[in-house]
Amino acid sequence: MEYAQVIANGLMLGAIYACIAVGFSLVWGVLNVINMMHGSFIILGGYLTFFAWLHLKINPFVALVPVAAVLFALGYLIQYTLINRVVSRPVLTTLTLTFGLDMILYNFMNLGFTATPRRVLLDLGRLDLGGVILPLDRVVAMFLALALTGILFVVMRTSRTGRAIVAVRMDRDAAALMGIRVNRVYAITFGIGALMAGACGALVSVVFPITTSVTGLFLGKAFVICVIGGLGSVPGALVGGIALGLIESLAGYFFGPQSAILAGFLIMLILLVVRPTGLIGKKGYE
Amino acid sequence: MIFESGMKRIARFAAIALLAAAWAASPAMAQTIKIGAPLALTGGLADEGKKQQIAYDMWLKRVNAAGGINVGGKRMKVELVQYDYQTNEQRAQQLAEKLIVDDKVNFLLAPFGSGHTKVVAGVAERYGVPVMATSASSDSIFNQGYKYLFGTLAPNSGSVENLITVITKQMPSARRIAILGREDVFPKAMATVMNDAAKKVGLQVISMELYPVGALDLSTPISKIKALAPDWIYITGYSKDLVLARKQMADLGVKAPVITMITGPVYKEFIDSLGPLAEGVTSASWWHHSAQYKGDDPWGTTKAFYDEFVAREKSEPDYVHAAAAAALVALQKAIEKAGTLDKAKVRDALAALDIVTFYGPIKFSANGMNGGRDLPIIQVQGGKPVLLYPENIKQANLKSAQ
Repeated sequence: MEYAQVIANGLMLGAIYACIAVGFSLVWGVLNVINMMHGSFIILGGYLTFFAWLHLKINPFVALVPVAAVLFALGYLIQYTLINRVVSRPVLTTLTLTFGLDMILYNFMNLGFTATPRRVLLDLGRLDLGGVILPLDRVVAMFLALALTGILFVVMRTSRTGRAIVAVRMDRDAAALMGIRVNRVYAITFGIGALMAGACGALVSVVFPITTSVTGLFLGKAFVICVIGGLGSVPGALVGGIALGLIESLAGYFFGPQSAILAGFLIMLILLVVRPTGLIGKKGYE
Repeated sequence: MIFESGMKRIARFAAIALLAAAWAASPAMAQTIKIGAPLALTGGLADEGKKQQIAYDMWLKRVNAAGGINVGGKRMKVELVQYDYQTNEQRAQQLAEKLIVDDKVNFLLAPFGSGHTKVVAGVAERYGVPVMATSASSDSIFNQGYKYLFGTLAPNSGSVENLITVITKQMPSARRIAILGREDVFPKAMATVMNDAAKKVGLQVISMELYPVGALDLSTPISKIKALAPDWIYITGYSKDLVLARKQMADLGVKAPVITMITGPVYKEFIDSLGPLAEGVTSASWWHHSAQYKGDDPWGTTKAFYDEFVAREKSEPDYVHAAAAAALVALQKAIEKAGTLDKAKVRDALAALDIVTFYGPIKFSANGMNGGRDLPIIQVQGGKPVLLYPENIKQANLKSAQ
């Protein structure tokens, strides 16, 4: 029974992890930009949700929609006005830019919200499945995280914008020749990345305390998940996220909580050596 | 050519101006006492760093409003030189060095927490600068043989012993204890001290685990604790970890008659962000505003400190604020006693200090830590922390956390 609980914990955490990573992976895969702001975007989404709950009494799962929209606008604007200027430069240039922007965003949040941990008091109770306990807020967060990831997958597959994003990822120059406005696609992609971060932040605010000091932790998780699952694809982030959730949960159980994070990084290192494309990544995006 | 000579002239003028400024400034500079403070204003300890900053500022305003510190009959104003070390240990070390060498501070204040205090104390020791630790309580910092380090918190072991006394006396049925600690200097020390102290008094430690600093989720260790069904769950960490731990305990249906979190309930934000879940959680603290003292310091009474803080910050002070202000009070008293800014003499005055302040008695032991005091034990009851110990000022008896 204990094993079942540990696996259930891992799956619920893994779905949230997938949601954390999917936007980051998309931006990295399509734009070749490592968005250092991703962790701060998630926390910003979390704070917006928290304040909407605190002052306006809006349910966090409802607040998710406007919060995601705000983050989309922010992401679109940042990409369109700033990152697009250097987007075709080597990855180090864009990394430095997003790193700098992250410091600005982080410090503004620190100033405005203080680093005091805050939490949405939404305790929905729990589900008891024959001894395996599933906290309901985590269950809802898990399903929403999976739904969001699924929607993104469908959008990328079927919508015109989605196809344009995929086309730009495959061959930027050819896409431009086909009449795709590459800069706009970039801005939309970055916007979607931020949107996913914001939506995920809303989910995170229900499950974890929100504080600025964890932005780096989220970013680190996104990195590991991308490497484990494979870069630039929605299924890659999903597989990577759930894999990491399970790895951490099982390693924590068998080797103690100190080893949980270590195990995640170890598997990442091993994969980098034996399978640099990640579990289900395609060659060319490693 | 003309341009060049012009440049030279400007350079010469600038040099003279600088010299003049330095000369003019030197007597003014001698009038102020400089105290250096590397603070974590951003990064993981930003919350704690800001607390120290508030306490320093409260003390500074009071002291300077009274004309400054009396140094051998002359009133000298105090200047605080602060830098943000971004919760980065290396930067704390560099800034401590910069404060001593470039800013020429007379004295130093250590950053929050045992880990970073150790780093700054190492630098201060090398230069022979007295350094006041405001929030370090781990013996491992004070047993390094540092001569210039003084801390206002009492040793970890003291508060854990009081905690065990209260629990075993008022709830003798709590025999089986599960310990979960954060793998970090202070929280880890509090976990190991409890592990040893519990065994010593015959309690049964059924599990003792540490979780890493970067842990985002605690469901696995908490699921493990659940399977053991302990009477007493004892978790250490910082507010974020403890809020998460308490929430996940509720999520996973983990219950125990005694739940102790070090130092969660001491902080207002712990109770705010847990709401009803905070109820019944016990903790040990170094200071609580309901323990009233009268003392010889800029505030005079615990109440005066509390009232000023509440008026200014619209919230309640916790031990971090009090211990930070108390560190400056101790330094102030030592300077007044020494009658000079000479670092070695102030150091000796600190070592000999024996005073009572709004914060309680301050008397440093040979290792530099504030010696034995009756450290308070608290429990959240009715949404507020109440005092369970010391006996003579207690406000309530222990309640079951179930």
